[in-house]
Amino acid sequence: MVERLGQFFRDRFSHWVYRRLPPSRSVSLNNRSLFIFPSKAGFGFLLLILLCWLVATNYENNVVFAITCLLVSVFMVAILHSFSNLSGLTLSFARATPAFAKEQLVVDVVLHQEQPRYRETLSLSFVGEDAVITTLGDHEEIRIKVPLYAPRRGLYNPGRLTLESVYPLGLLRVWTKVDLDISCLIYPQPVFDSPKTFVANSRGEGLLQVGDGSEDFVGLNEYQTGDSLKKVAWKQYAKEQGMYTKHYADYQDERIWLDWDDYPALDREARLSRLCGGLLQVSGTDKAYGLRLPGIEILPDNNEAHRLKVLRELALFEVPNRGQAGDEKVRGQSV
Amino acid sequence: MIPAWQIHRNALVWLLLAFAAVILIHSAHLPNWITLAALVAVIWRVQRYRGVWPTPSRWVKLSLLAMCVAGLFLEYGKLTGLEPMVALLVSAYTLKLLEMEHRRDALLVVFLAFFIAAVQALFDQSIGNAIYILGCILLIIAALVGLHQGDVLLSTQSQALFKSHALRPLKKGLVILLQAIPLMILLFIIMPRLGSLWAVPIQSHSAKTGVTDTMSPGDYSRLGRSADLAFRVSFDGEIPRQHQLYWRGLVLSDFDGRQWSRSGLDSYSGRDLNDGGFLQWFGKSIQPWDSLIERLGQPIRYSVVMEPSQQPWLYSLPTPVPQSTGVALTRDFWLLSSAPVTAKTQYEVDSWLDYKVAANDLSNYRQSIELEIPPGYNPRTVELAQRWRRETSNDKALIRKVLGLYNEQFVYTLQPPLLGKHSVDEFLFDTQRGFCGHFSSSFVFFMRAAGVPARVVAGYQGGERHPDNYLLVRQYDAHAWAEVWIAGEGWIRVDPTAAVAPERIEANLEEALGDNEGFLADSPLSLMHFRHINWLNSLRLKLDSLNYSWARWVLGYDSIQEDLLEKWLGAYNPLRIALALLIAGGGLLGLLALWQLRHRFSSKHDELDRVFLRLCQTLEKAGIPRETGEGPRAYAQRVAEQRPDLARQVKGINAVYEHMRYGSEGQERLKVLKNAIRRLK
Repeated sequence: MVERLGQFFRDRFSHWVYRRLPPSRSVSLNNRSLFIFPSKAGFGFLLLILLCWLVATNYENNVVFAITCLLVSVFMVAILHSFSNLSGLTLSFARATPAFAKEQLVVDVVLHQEQPRYRETLSLSFVGEDAVITTLGDHEEIRIKVPLYAPRRGLYNPGRLTLESVYPLGLLRVWTKVDLDISCLIYPQPVFDSPKTFVANSRGEGLLQVGDGSEDFVGLNEYQTGDSLKKVAWKQYAKEQGMYTKHYADYQDERIWLDWDDYPALDREARLSRLCGGLLQVSGTDKAYGLRLPGIEILPDNNEAHRLKVLRELALFEVPNRGQAGDEKVRGQSV
Repeated sequence: MIPAWQIHRNALVWLLLAFAAVILIHSAHLPNWITLAALVAVIWRVQRYRGVWPTPSRWVKLSLLAMCVAGLFLEYGKLTGLEPMVALLVSAYTLKLLEMEHRRDALLVVFLAFFIAAVQALFDQSIGNAIYILGCILLIIAALVGLHQGDVLLSTQSQALFKSHALRPLKKGLVILLQAIPLMILLFIIMPRLGSLWAVPIQSHSAKTGVTDTMSPGDYSRLGRSADLAFRVSFDGEIPRQHQLYWRGLVLSDFDGRQWSRSGLDSYSGRDLNDGGFLQWFGKSIQPWDSLIERLGQPIRYSVVMEPSQQPWLYSLPTPVPQSTGVALTRDFWLLSSAPVTAKTQYEVDSWLDYKVAANDLSNYRQSIELEIPPGYNPRTVELAQRWRRETSNDKALIRKVLGLYNEQFVYTLQPPLLGKHSVDEFLFDTQRGFCGHFSSSFVFFMRAAGVPARVVAGYQGGERHPDNYLLVRQYDAHAWAEVWIAGEGWIRVDPTAAVAPERIEANLEEALGDNEGFLADSPLSLMHFRHINWLNSLRLKLDSLNYSWARWVLGYDSIQEDLLEKWLGAYNPLRIALALLIAGGGLLGLLALWQLRHRFSSKHDELDRVFLRLCQTLEKAGIPRETGEGPRAYAQRVAEQRPDLARQVKGINAVYEHMRYGSEGQERLKVLKNAIRRLK
């Protein structure tokens, strides 16, 4: 019950915080956007103050009383110091290096200050991710790489970025949760599993097999539901060696097509993963390659820009609102 | 990379320094083996960091803990007093330092350090000690900052930067401490004191000092060797004359042939008590026996700050009426505190120097107390007393006769000969050399033997007048005199010492003794030895003045807080206090916040504007003022035309200025610009 009540208040608080701090690519930190509350150690310190006060009062000892007052006063002054450790910083989203799904993604965040001064032990993290700890020396600006996990293909908004610090005394935690309107491009998770995708011909040239052809027998694959019965290797089946399908390859010229239709049996994401894997393999060679997706065709070519263009298409294929990355998924997470 | 929860070198150094400082200040009352163990812990900790010694295993830690508890038990016999409890706390602190691994362990160590440093003030409240504790707190805060500061190894950007800033925790700690002090003073002044909530264990091992409630003839010569302070007094008006300064402490009425002792609460039980109890507390109802005192004229008001004596009696001029809570007037008209004086204590008293006590009648039970002499002692004195009784016409004549005897034949000395069983006989007829104890003791015995009610009064006499108009009373001012009851006049003071050494009363003990008498022999380092060296003497008086202000305004603040706040706030009630705290505290914090966040209000461009203004002023002095609306570049051009010798410099400055104003140049160039302008002059 208490827990649910606590959750309720945390939710309300998060809601309030998010309304105060709408998404923006750059946020300056001030008393509107910074929050401050005693840390666990801070509560320990308050307990210490209470103990000292009890000693001072019971022994009627004014020196202990003065020390108690000093500790209270140090706590109050620490509020200002903790606050000014973050206040006046500007946080902005620089770029996110595109990554493949299920891998680590790195978001570059820039910390900027007008007047150079020390800002110690700033911790940056996305919800549920490891924190990066940094210190701003007498620089006006530093760029920090914040790592996070890329969950799935598409445009990804990792949610609120938490910047926090307990410097100088660890008694108070100052933090902000900003939505830097980050959108990271995440490519499909590459899959390299299928032997049919990439074979070497007799001339020793690597060519991509495009679709199931009819010219040369390539090998046997385990039967999967949906495979044409015409291609089943009945000989093997009769020998009770299992159900296989025979595969033939059509060899084309040196222009390779990464084609959606090559994987009729797979769902969208599996097809994209295989196309991505194929792309990674073929882009290492000097062959020109193209991409065919339903409604999209990129003519074969081979250079870095082309590769990125193909990857981008794979990443954004059938992604809703691909122009923007408004993502409300962070709502409800505790601050 | 070291995980963030580990304790890095910079934090460890400050933790160890703070630890050493806190242990050092406690070592005076700690058993030596704990101090030694703490030292070993520090060494172990350093060696552990260097990877030379291992982390203590769980069994080692447990057995160390058991050894500490057992050792403390052997040392003190119990664990409930103040010293054993603090010693236990210190051992816990030591063991925790040894085993700390993570940052949260270190936090516990830091909190323990704060507490142990604060508790030290229970043992010593002097100003020097308070300053030392403040230093400890600075080190502890530095350790706390160190714990939360980036590590050398954690910083990926500039290792050199961090290495050159090993002192930064101390600097940051100092800034925080200094900023905290105004608010601390405010809280100290305003926060109400609640008074003791429950009984607490007190110090048990400190020696009792000063006048005790028993007196053997030789006792006072011991005090005569000590220059330690007994108490300080400041009077609302003039300090009374020296011979009026009889600081009454105890009345000693019981004599067992050897030693005088007080007839306390017990000796009243079973007797005729129809005139009230023994004590009359300040603020409580008046006891019937209060009417025995006739107070004549105007009282004088003074405030006494007692040094710790570990005894409950307080000192006052006769006849006193206490004006502070926790102080009682006894039936014998001396003052008693509700608890032994274990720390500096301040109390206020009204005294009527002109008085009559029990002038008309002395009740039977008092007569029996004040006339009692043990049978079989001092037969020669008894015989002489009774003879003189018959020879003199009245009590006063008898007193004069005895004092005359002292005056003619006796010697006042700090080094009297030892006395046997019939001490009064031997003193009066054989040795005739003695200190105030001998004189008062023999005098009172003589009076009682002659049938005149008499008693010994113990306390202090005189005191040193400080230029700041207060009085310093030291242990060597300890004194014993007599009170004699005379029908129609009541109890009157008779000081037999004054008969033999009047300068003791009119001046001080040193005058009375002359050289080679062992005066201050127990205080070899006392500045009192150098009173004849002028500048040392004025230094001594200044130091004492500081100590006295500390005792009066800080240690004894409780007793003046209410009046002071009432004067400042108009009324002393919770609402006013809360408001004052909010307004003054908020104001202080607001000012601090402005100071702390001042960077927010000046940007790079503001600074740049100031620099440009300075350039314009410099050039104006050189005779080329900037015209209204003239842009920097046009201005620079004009200056270059008029002063070709400056052309290169001014154009250079302008170039940097434009870069900074319109480009993305950082702060570094500002210094270049400032220097260039300075060179222009």
